[in-house]
Amino acid sequence: MLSLSLAAWGVPRGEAAVPALYTAAQARAGHRAYEHHCAACHGRQEQGLVGPALSGPIFASPKANYKVRDIYLFLSVNMPAYAPGSLTPKQYVDIMSFLLQQNGFPAGRTALTHSMASTSAVPLLYHGPRPPTRHARAGGGCGARPSVPRSGAPAASPHCEALVGALPGARTDPPAD
Amino acid sequence: MTTIHALSHRVRRASAAGLLVALAFSGVARAGGYPTVTDARLAAAATDNGWLMFRRDYAGNSFAPFTQINTHTVKNLHLVWSYRSHLKQGYESTPMVNGQYMFITTPKDHLIALNAVTGKVLWKYVRPMPGVGFKTVCCDVVNRGVALYGDDVYMATLDNYVVALNAISGKVVWQRQLKPADVGYAMTLAPMILKGMVIVGESGGEYGARDFIQALNARTGALLWRRWTTPAPGHLGANTWPKGMYKHGGGSAWITGTYDPSTDTLFWGVGNPAPWLAKLRPGLNLFTDSLLALHPRSGKIKWYYQYTPNDSWDYDGVNTPVITTLRYHGTTYRAIVHADRNGWFYAINRVNGKLIYARQFTRATSVEGFKNGLPYTNNALRPAMNKQVFTCPSFLGGKNWWPISVDPVTHLAYVPTIHTCMTMKGAPTFYHPGLPYLGESFEVVHDPADHHWGALQAIDLDTGRQVWDHESDLPWDAGAMSTAGGVVFSGSARGHLYAFDARTGAVLWRSPQLSSGVIAPPSTFMVNGKQYVAILAGWGGGTPIWGGKMVPVVKNIPRGGHLYVFALR
Repeated sequence: MLSLSLAAWGVPRGEAAVPALYTAAQARAGHRAYEHHCAACHGRQEQGLVGPALSGPIFASPKANYKVRDIYLFLSVNMPAYAPGSLTPKQYVDIMSFLLQQNGFPAGRTALTHSMASTSAVPLLYHGPRPPTRHARAGGGCGARPSVPRSGAPAASPHCEALVGALPGARTDPPAD
Repeated sequence: MTTIHALSHRVRRASAAGLLVALAFSGVARAGGYPTVTDARLAAAATDNGWLMFRRDYAGNSFAPFTQINTHTVKNLHLVWSYRSHLKQGYESTPMVNGQYMFITTPKDHLIALNAVTGKVLWKYVRPMPGVGFKTVCCDVVNRGVALYGDDVYMATLDNYVVALNAISGKVVWQRQLKPADVGYAMTLAPMILKGMVIVGESGGEYGARDFIQALNARTGALLWRRWTTPAPGHLGANTWPKGMYKHGGGSAWITGTYDPSTDTLFWGVGNPAPWLAKLRPGLNLFTDSLLALHPRSGKIKWYYQYTPNDSWDYDGVNTPVITTLRYHGTTYRAIVHADRNGWFYAINRVNGKLIYARQFTRATSVEGFKNGLPYTNNALRPAMNKQVFTCPSFLGGKNWWPISVDPVTHLAYVPTIHTCMTMKGAPTFYHPGLPYLGESFEVVHDPADHHWGALQAIDLDTGRQVWDHESDLPWDAGAMSTAGGVVFSGSARGHLYAFDARTGAVLWRSPQLSSGVIAPPSTFMVNGKQYVAILAGWGGGTPIWGGKMVPVVKNIPRGGHLYVFALR
């Protein structure tokens, strides 16, 4: 049953343990959407800030026993927290793809769909670092996850910590509260 | 504009750089000695020179008898010292003071002891939480401060430990975990000390936890009693739940209670039921959204009062129940006053749990009115699958946890307020340990009848009517403190500590802009005849996460923690 379902997902032989559930293009689009809608609370490296980390062995642990559909349901119904359900189905699927990538799932040839994500019983486990998407990870700034360094990725810079409302250089006298 | 941030470079400043290591134990502090915190001192905490517990005294007034800083002198307040923390999450801790020792907590459960006069860091404890994912902490990774007893200091943690540390050395004396981390439970409250017990309450109403209030032996950490807030079969209130649903029914107890020695009653507020969507759990769902009156030695229930029956709007009933005396329609009552998330200001007879009066302090439509002393809801405003409603207040409440202060001189309650409503609609959900359990989607929007997001208002205890109102374009997310000097203090989201005339609401003084917005309550204390006022700035908490239309309004408020201590020139 397992091998059948994995074959249907287009998983190459020899890598059956980690199915390919999304395409690289979806993860790239998901990365952009994540940075816009999710990073303020969960961190640009999904490391957790005021909300929990969304990648890594603590988030996607066997003990947590998450299935892909569990996380996708909450994501698509209740996130982003400031406007739950406000994104398009494509955006939710893209963000899910990005989170799968960041938890070590490989990209494949078959695109993830809303229906697939809503029903997928694939365990959401951390499978180690994967190569970054082309978007944004390269270049300066907040490019590296310190705990999971990628080849050629820059070191995290101090400004990466100021994720929400960086301290302005000069503050103006505000109106009364 | 001279900011306090700039000013602080010109005064003695205790730097937080480096951290994680316990700093040198202060010889100065040792020479000054650590005054043991006894039951007698806690019973008289209202008049103590320090600030010994969450809301200063067991009644929860947050009223200090000091008069040095008063309506005439407050304009001469200036910064004495400040201390900066590197963490970027929300700071909700009240600075607690005993003698010359001050204790603050930060996000992620760092506990710092400082010299209250100089700002010198005495020691620092960073809660080790390897392997903790903070997955079931709903509204920022905050902590609201410590409790003090004997020579120890107590903290409740996000990984569900109660930790006792020696107040002088910072060494752990004992620690006990009440529940595993990341499976629904977390603790964020300041513990309470009562009769040799340390009492805490669990959070987790958004994750289907079955929550509880827990008493431990303050000396040893031994478990004494546990009051589950959702009853098992055979217990009082069990018939208010569909079969089995109490097991994941929420009822978090995430704000410190109060204690009435005249009736020997421990009061504790209980939060929302789980899941949020009430259609999934018909019944009153006791004791969610309720005030519990408990026997302090056993945790047994004397009586209860439910603020919101069969809640479908996340109206936690945890806001501090303040013990006071009031006169209503010619009769004097020993009362509890409480400004609820549901938008109503309650006065309840603290002897028998009967409602004295309830009055709206912000727009409230979900709880429509009262009949025979009990609230009733507008059933048309209950969300369902495929049914979106518009109702008020939003789930963030007419006020959230930010504590009120009750002034026995002016006989007024000072109430932080937000003017929000929301859309809300049923949504699919299921229970899984470590995942949210809501069953609704929602968006916080402005109260269409009010052009401000927030306010600090004064309410007459005898009538429940507003006496004065300070409106704010930003939400008012900080606790209040009143003093015998006729001054009320509270901080703003824009980052000013305000001093109001307690009788009129006139702004007597406003600090230079702090380095971040304020969501914490202030405290005040006396050392060597000098009165100080302390406040933590550090924007965060629930509003910037869940605040809907408020989120873009507050998104540029700078982050980072900064403790400021003021005194007269």
